[in-house]
Amino acid sequence: MFRTLKPFEYLEPKSLEEATGALSKCGTEAKVYAAGVDLVPRMRKRIIAPKCIVNLQRIDEMDDVIASNKDGARIGALASLRSIELSALIKERYFVLHEAIASIASIQVKTQGTAVGNLCVATPASDVAPALFVLDAKIKAVGPSGERLIPIDEFYLGVGKTVLGPNEIITEILLPKAPANTGGGFAKLVRTVSDIAKVNAAAELTMEKGVCKEVRIAVGSVAPTVLRMKKAEDVLRGNKIDQNLIEKAASAAADAVKPITDIRSTAEYRKDTTKVLVKRVLEKALERTKA
Amino acid sequence: MNKEFTAVGKRITQKDVVLKATGEAIFVPDVKLQGQLWGKILHSKYAHAKFTIDKTRALALPGVVCVITYEDTPKIPYCRSFRDMPMTASGQLQHSDEFILADKARFVGDPIAAVAAVDEKTAEAAIELLEADVKYEVLPFVIDPRDALKPGAPVIHDYSPNNNPVNSTPPPWLAIGDLEKGFAESDLVVEDNFYCSRQIQSHLETQSCCATVDSNNKITVYSPNQLAHPFRRELGKMFNHPVGKINVVTPYVGGSFGCRLSCHTEPICVMLALKTRKPVKLVNSKEEDFTTIDARTPHYLHAKLGLKKDGTLHAMELNVTTWGGGYVSRAMLAGGIMLIWGLGHYRCPNMNGSCKLAYTNTPLGGAMRGFGNPEVMWGIDQLMDRACVELGLDPVEMTLKNTKHAGETCNTGLPIESTYIDDCINEGAKAIGWKEKRGKNKGGTKTLKRGVGMSTMTHCSGAWPLLLEHSGAIIKFNEDGSANLIINPGSPGTHIYGSLSQVAAEVLGISVDDIYVVAGETEKTLFDLGSHASRSMYVTGHAVRIAAEEARKELLAYAAKMLAETPDDLDIKDGQVFVKANPGKKISVAKVSATAIYGARGDGHTISGKGCFVPHHNSPPTAAYFAEVEVDTETGVTKVLNFVSAVDCGKAINPMTVEGQCEGGVQQGLGYGLTEDYVFNPATGATATGNFTTYKIPGAPDMPLETKIIIIDKPDPKGPFGAKGVGEPGLVGIAPAIMNAIHDAVGVRVTDLPIKPEAILKALKEKASK
Amino acid sequence: MKKEILNFKVNGTPYEIEVEPQMTLNEVLREQLNLTGTKISCAEGECGACTVLVDGKPELSCSMLALAARDKDITTIEGLAKDGELHKIQKGFIEKGAIQCGFCSPGMMLMIKALLDENPNPTKEEITAYIAGNLCRCTGYVKIIDAAKAAAEA
Repeated sequence: MFRTLKPFEYLEPKSLEEATGALSKCGTEAKVYAAGVDLVPRMRKRIIAPKCIVNLQRIDEMDDVIASNKDGARIGALASLRSIELSALIKERYFVLHEAIASIASIQVKTQGTAVGNLCVATPASDVAPALFVLDAKIKAVGPSGERLIPIDEFYLGVGKTVLGPNEIITEILLPKAPANTGGGFAKLVRTVSDIAKVNAAAELTMEKGVCKEVRIAVGSVAPTVLRMKKAEDVLRGNKIDQNLIEKAASAAADAVKPITDIRSTAEYRKDTTKVLVKRVLEKALERTKA
Repeated sequence: MNKEFTAVGKRITQKDVVLKATGEAIFVPDVKLQGQLWGKILHSKYAHAKFTIDKTRALALPGVVCVITYEDTPKIPYCRSFRDMPMTASGQLQHSDEFILADKARFVGDPIAAVAAVDEKTAEAAIELLEADVKYEVLPFVIDPRDALKPGAPVIHDYSPNNNPVNSTPPPWLAIGDLEKGFAESDLVVEDNFYCSRQIQSHLETQSCCATVDSNNKITVYSPNQLAHPFRRELGKMFNHPVGKINVVTPYVGGSFGCRLSCHTEPICVMLALKTRKPVKLVNSKEEDFTTIDARTPHYLHAKLGLKKDGTLHAMELNVTTWGGGYVSRAMLAGGIMLIWGLGHYRCPNMNGSCKLAYTNTPLGGAMRGFGNPEVMWGIDQLMDRACVELGLDPVEMTLKNTKHAGETCNTGLPIESTYIDDCINEGAKAIGWKEKRGKNKGGTKTLKRGVGMSTMTHCSGAWPLLLEHSGAIIKFNEDGSANLIINPGSPGTHIYGSLSQVAAEVLGISVDDIYVVAGETEKTLFDLGSHASRSMYVTGHAVRIAAEEARKELLAYAAKMLAETPDDLDIKDGQVFVKANPGKKISVAKVSATAIYGARGDGHTISGKGCFVPHHNSPPTAAYFAEVEVDTETGVTKVLNFVSAVDCGKAINPMTVEGQCEGGVQQGLGYGLTEDYVFNPATGATATGNFTTYKIPGAPDMPLETKIIIIDKPDPKGPFGAKGVGEPGLVGIAPAIMNAIHDAVGVRVTDLPIKPEAILKALKEKASK
Repeated sequence: MKKEILNFKVNGTPYEIEVEPQMTLNEVLREQLNLTGTKISCAEGECGACTVLVDGKPELSCSMLALAARDKDITTIEGLAKDGELHKIQKGFIEKGAIQCGFCSPGMMLMIKALLDENPNPTKEEITAYIAGNLCRCTGYVKIIDAAKAAAEA
């Protein structure tokens, strides 16, 4: 109902040490600011009312660089969704992430918003998260006691909840090298293109002579967090892939989800279409392993 | 007029569009008054509750100037949609059942207190304090109108113990024949229950107001209201204030589609200005808009059609339960008008219907573009399509059998002045490729199925004889030969100033560039009812024509003196007055006007004209809509590939404007049909879809791949230069056309709006299991 | 709360102003600099009416703290015309009938500016996709897309 934000203390640390120190001091009363896309509207609506805002944009050690490294690639925490979407490196080697971000409609949101910010919101409808799940990404977080690497599928605890401590800051996303003959795919269902997903799904598939060597499947918006579809993966892994097996894996995925009914969709529909989307992303991924 | 038009029919751009392109155009939220305070409203968080409010803490907050509740208001009940626009047919007035601030909360969002403070941040802080200091006594509430009408339902207004303030029946010209006999004589009877959903206008500029009271007690109100004069009258009554001391100023308006027909925050803003004697500005958040304004009135419709084997409509019955809200506002007319559109569209010898209105503990039902017509056609044209399928007839041919023609009785009870609906149907069918596509899944696959569907409608040009009609206009020549066109039809983005300038320019024989519109203040303009019911072109258009003809007469009389000719022998073209028999003998309009104004011979005279107009006729615009869709049978998702709207709006005064209206109508109709879903939380009665993140209107990529607007462009005998209304027709038949196309593609249909993929997939599953 | 100094450029003009930290860029532009051509509607990033260009890229002034604009170069609709000459995008919008109520228009035109800077000859599909975050309730987007095409070709 409100239009203005409530007053808060504004901090603009220059180093990670200064930033984590400030966060330690303010505790849960503080929120970090990286782009504002999610944070500012929630503050306006009084969903949160932080006493202190720590702007991460001017920290020396933070960057927006997207680059390959010896283990694969890294995405600096300040990299915008749009820069990741347009990155030739991401398009070439991590197409599923490109496809997921491309499905987010608003250019403004993508220009301003960061992938890390999207992860930290911890919405089960995130399009970025399923893509990172199937890419087996890791998140580097820095706190007062040093840094740690968090596998993406251990990052979420529930809606709006992550394992990140109140004084930890994510500095980068790490993507492992993809083996040869790997392809990925992403798909989602929405009410209008700018809506968040009713259901989304991502898959990353590695083939060797017609046999599935490795596969990861993730589905969003069907549980409090994005889910890995391990049973569906087991159907495929080590087996020769054909349409029949893809259908079987898709059914296994649908069996594994217990979605809810809300204003966007119904539990029944989400379950039904989990199967359809998993099938479709596997088909796309398979096709792309050949490229 | 036989001569070639010089202004009418041209694709011109309205002058003020330039100001909108540069950011100079001032909308109400952009208004800044010296020393202005900021207002803010406290809304009830319960659907039905008594309450007491402790103002102490809010008043003590530094910067807070005043806090008002029901006790501080004049306690004169009003109707936010202006009760003095009676149904002229019945004489029935809309109920005055609302106070400036509520005595009892009747929906989640009902305004129960307000503050004025030095800035917006302080006003909002005061509201947060007040919110904590309200003691509610929560009462049982009811959301659905069908529940509200059951015995024992919570009573929302004491005066209406059964929550049923009014019932309506069709007017005599639509309650005809013998229904029972009609259905008995029919070869096929089709019927169903339909839900016509609550659609939010989704104008972008949130509801805003600025109000000041000066030391002469003159109230100036900056408001986006599009019925400025009736609004002024309502304000006068609400505050027991002389209307001569009220000026309603309408700056640029960021969209309406019906929402600016009512006053929303204005009475509260004026109240704060009266209390503080300072200018007060009050701007809604979008969430406040979603939860407090009167949206398209929802209805439950039971429709039943009886048809002969050849597809001739023989009987029609419509029974409506109208979802009124906590106060009735325009919902009071909504069911009745639905019967008029529905029963009045096709030729049918046996018809009747009924409408029950219910109070509910929800935000109000109001008017949105089409007011009842998109709602009723959602039911009727689905049944028509169903009947075609069952009788093995083609919908195009069957519809042509049932359309009315000129001279037959129109929905308003008057004779149809002109209708080219058959042209709309034929041209539209050709454009969509009806014959090649209907029933053929053309271009589709096994899981992506394609189909085409259609719908039609008849609307109105103004509300005569159902509601008050009256518009006025003044033309005033300047000494450079330009003219001011002084009007106040309300202009929420419809380019009506431009179209009316074209009418004036055509009559006056000067360039549209030389017409300067003065509008937007009640104290500087003649009475104009305002913009609703697709009336401005038709009614204000005539007022402008009359004013221009009068000014033209004065101009010719003065020119005749100067040229030593008689006025009848003169004509005007391209800003020159010339002798018809001797075109070389001429004088410029500028010279005539300047000479008249600076009458050095002692005959000074401002060449001007005044026109007031009340139509005693109503030329109905008609239209046909065609959709081609692709349905994903695995997900139930519908993509509209092509959409064709063919409209008969008489002579298109500005074809670009007509296209713009109809293209925009497709967006709104597509949203109504497919994506816009207003949901209440059943446990609390609160709106669950209170902003654009949850209530989804179509964005550019959601639109049809191709949208084609066909303008039939045949003049009507009664409209100004042959024009009829076109504002509302744009969206009427979109949703049923899409639904009928979906049925053509996959053989299932749903009866509740919007058409959700969830419902389509479920229907497909059910069909497969049969 | 303590005010902070904000140095930034708006439409080429450098500003040094005091702002309260909780003020969004939208509030500072509209209320402090009186640049009311930048609109606000949903205030949650869904409608695009508040779009401005930040260092040439389209962002949401409703969801950005003003202090985050420090040292940035902001373009608002008031900065599109130069020396009294309308920008070709403004001309396109005017001539093609792409402006009805005008409330989405500033944000829309700035989006088209960003698009044409990135991609001078966009297809209809590319234009459609680029304005996906900008809602218009009047035009059905048809004439907006026409106007963008016309501006690209001008």
